Amino acid sequence: MLIKALLLYCLAFGQGVAGDAVLSEISAIAPGIALPPASLQSAARLAKTPITQGDFHQQKQLKVLRKPLISTGTFTYDQNKGVIWKTLTPVVSLLLVNESKLLTGQGEQAVPAAFGKVFKAMLGGDLAALTDGFVITGTDQKTSWQLALIPKDEMLKKIISTMVLSGDTELRQLEIRETGGNVTLISFDNISHPERLSDEQEADFERLSP
Amino acid sequence: MNRKPILNAYHPKLTAGLWLLGMIIIGILGSQILTKNWLETGFLALLPTSEQQPEIANATRQHNQLLNRKVVWLAGASTSVEAINHAQKLKRQLEQSQLFNKVVLEFPQQQYINQYQQLFPYRYQLLDAQSQEMLAKNPEDLIKQNLEILNSPIGQMQAADLERDPSLLFGRYFSAQHPIKLNLEQGIVVVSDRQQFWALLLTDLHDERLQLDKLDTLLHLVNDATGQVKAQGGELLVSGMALFTAQGAQSAKQEISTVGVGSSLGIMVLLLMTFRSVRPLLLAMLALASGLFAALVLSIWCFDKIHLLTLVFGASLMGVAIDYALHFFCDSFGGKAWLPQQGLRFILPGISLGLFTTLLSYAGLGLSPFPGLQQVAVFSAIGLSVAWLTVVLLFPLLLVGFKPKHQPLLLKLTGYWQQHWPVWLLSNKRWLGLAAAVFVLGGFWTLTPRDDVRLLQSAPAELTRTADKIRQLFPMSPDSQFFLVSGQDQAGWFQNEQRLIKRLETLKQQKALTAYEGLSHYWPDANRQQQNYRLIKHKLVDSGLLERYMNDLGFDETAVKAELKQFSAAERNTLTLPEWLATADESKQQLWLGCDDGHCQSTVALTGIGDFQALTALQDLPGVIWVDQVESLSSLFARYRIRASALLAIAFSLALAGLGFKFGWQGSMAIMSVPVVALAVSLAMIGWFGQLFSLFNLFALLLVLGIGVDYGLFFFIAGDRRDSTSLGVTLSALTTLLAFGLLATSSTEIVHAFGFTVAVGIVTALLCAPLVGLKNT
Repeated sequence: MLIKALLLYCLAFGQGVAGDAVLSEISAIAPGIALPPASLQSAARLAKTPITQGDFHQQKQLKVLRKPLISTGTFTYDQNKGVIWKTLTPVVSLLLVNESKLLTGQGEQAVPAAFGKVFKAMLGGDLAALTDGFVITGTDQKTSWQLALIPKDEMLKKIISTMVLSGDTELRQLEIRETGGNVTLISFDNISHPERLSDEQEADFERLSP
Repeated sequence: MNRKPILNAYHPKLTAGLWLLGMIIIGILGSQILTKNWLETGFLALLPTSEQQPEIANATRQHNQLLNRKVVWLAGASTSVEAINHAQKLKRQLEQSQLFNKVVLEFPQQQYINQYQQLFPYRYQLLDAQSQEMLAKNPEDLIKQNLEILNSPIGQMQAADLERDPSLLFGRYFSAQHPIKLNLEQGIVVVSDRQQFWALLLTDLHDERLQLDKLDTLLHLVNDATGQVKAQGGELLVSGMALFTAQGAQSAKQEISTVGVGSSLGIMVLLLMTFRSVRPLLLAMLALASGLFAALVLSIWCFDKIHLLTLVFGASLMGVAIDYALHFFCDSFGGKAWLPQQGLRFILPGISLGLFTTLLSYAGLGLSPFPGLQQVAVFSAIGLSVAWLTVVLLFPLLLVGFKPKHQPLLLKLTGYWQQHWPVWLLSNKRWLGLAAAVFVLGGFWTLTPRDDVRLLQSAPAELTRTADKIRQLFPMSPDSQFFLVSGQDQAGWFQNEQRLIKRLETLKQQKALTAYEGLSHYWPDANRQQQNYRLIKHKLVDSGLLERYMNDLGFDETAVKAELKQFSAAERNTLTLPEWLATADESKQQLWLGCDDGHCQSTVALTGIGDFQALTALQDLPGVIWVDQVESLSSLFARYRIRASALLAIAFSLALAGLGFKFGWQGSMAIMSVPVVALAVSLAMIGWFGQLFSLFNLFALLLVLGIGVDYGLFFFIAGDRRDSTSLGVTLSALTTLLAFGLLATSSTEIVHAFGFTVAVGIVTALLCAPLVGLKNT
């Protein structure tokens, strides 16, 4: 029970990475830049575009709660500018993040340093770089694929047991299993790749620029 | 010349014996004293503390103590993994050096875990300012924010312990305790700018005042480590007060050897050229060595420890202390059948008065409140006196049979010069006088005082740049300014500090500073703890809001009941300040100064001050004192600059009166005109060359006064020995010039200014002196 309190600081970092992984996975993963292991080739089907947007449905099953925390909203990923994560239910809130800045309803927060690395690796399609930080195993079917990422970092291992990504030409679902038993499941719908950002999206990203 | 009875009873052997006895005593004293650790290197040791109120001095000491021991290391590379690699290697290296009592690379998790556990039982008494406000104004906002935090895709620290802290209030309080969020990777703090990742390593030195050899070790360590990291393609940034001290010490050592070796060589060449004999050289060196040795031993005996900068000035003293010997030797060219005892009789009034006036000027230095200058004054006074004693007591015996047969070239030159130069000056006095007046007035016009205490310290630009860069990347080290908050009791203190902190928070939002750190920001006093508890009870518990929120989230019925039960059981909990301090880290503990007889005090540390005016305005708050060491010392410099000017005037009047008493007013005026012109030209040159003009130049001017009087005096009493006198004065001016000229090469601005001022003054005094005593011939 105390383990959570014990890992307070790490958690901020660990979940951060997990969250970042989520955000980055939302995006299109460019295929075949670095030659991935066989299991990674599945992800090579992901579409490669600079802008991705869509809806999300997030379900967090926390051990202490009888029912899951469910939130829904929209997301936008821009290769250069970062990510907009807009929660619409149960409360409206906005989260903006890029490599060096993280803005939430509670103000600006630190961006974990590891974040930049994982973020870049995934966005750049350099999944091979992720093998530095994760042991990756995968299954590949005709129309879909699934990858399981297990962290190598000892600290991260204490919090996250596995991250499972699955999809087809898009990333469709992401599951994060914490060692404490909490499970977060995020699914993505209505994914599209517009040519340019809307004015509202531009304005949100504007807040991230220094 | 008037004969003094004392000279009749003069026995060279007896006096030489006396001298020997004195030196033996000093030698024995020295053998005991010099084995101790007697060298001071820290910058702060130069500054006065007596002027401050003891409580401010005490707070300042405590504030500096931690700051001075800290050395911050940032290992940079293009990836965080490499940066961490560099830092890990560096850590091993630093641990091996044994310079540090703490080398922190991995984040001290255990400390935070302990703190969390220790504070957790008081969670209903502890609220951060923001939650407090939300609860008071609209508790629904707090619930809304909780949902936002819980649903965030990025892990939130505040939500980490939802099971035991369902309202997330303690999570908020705990995370507000550490306002600067650090990014951890493999448990190591990693910061990044746009180009690089930097792994952070924090070290505490064993000792606030490192000894010279340790400072050297530190400097080598930094250089080695920087080289190694660079060789592996990385970059290393290091900063800390100790590095500035180490750099200062290194340049001071350099300067001591430059001045020491330069002066010695100059003296040797001049003496050998002039006297073509080894005896005067050896004797002069003996006088110098005894003077310097006695000065060193007796100053340490007097002050316990002396500063490196004192030795820099001490080295330049060689140029003045040699004068007495020089005048003695030069006198041998004056008389036909010269005997040492006769020679002494002739020069004794001159060198004695010379010593007296120089001591007078050093006494002025000693009256200043700066420990550094007091040391310089005592060191110089002893050095000069002992050199003088050596000449007077020992030389008559050791110079027996000394009579140079040759006419040195320099004697012919100075003889020619002293004859023709005054004539030329006098025949052109109209336009020369006018030109000099314009020059002096113009120089005065451009003279602007600068009283910045930082001039005392020489910091290479690179070191300052690195320090700035580190402050940018890792904005956690507090500035040297801070607030001192006091109250009659703990409650009074708490109120006063809270009032200050409220204002600081506003200023922080206006970007007048980046961060502040005060205890009352984290620890609420007993009253406030009760208020907090009642606030939660009223707004969350009694209103049923907490229960509703927990039910909506999906907590078990039993969990809700347990939480309510724990809440009511905690009603009487109080966390005392000592208990809270025991959980805090060193930098927070340092803020508390304690309570004694109806007086509680703390400091509030500040980081990244941008608007000084806005902050100083806060000292109007009750019980709040703004402490700015840099500013108060600088204003002290300004005050003492004015006092030193008065001192200069007093010394001048004393010399004028003393000489007037002996030689009559006209004679006195004639002699004193030499230092007056020298002072005026020195000042004007400082103005023309845009040199630093501060308190220290005035002390240099005191010295110019002393030396100027000497030169004037020697010519005044020269009588028919003007040739040998001019040789003596020229030689003594050359040696002094060499010493202080070399001082002007110093990288420390005040030392440079001191050297420059004295050098200009001496040249001027030398050029004016032959005008004195002309009519006597």
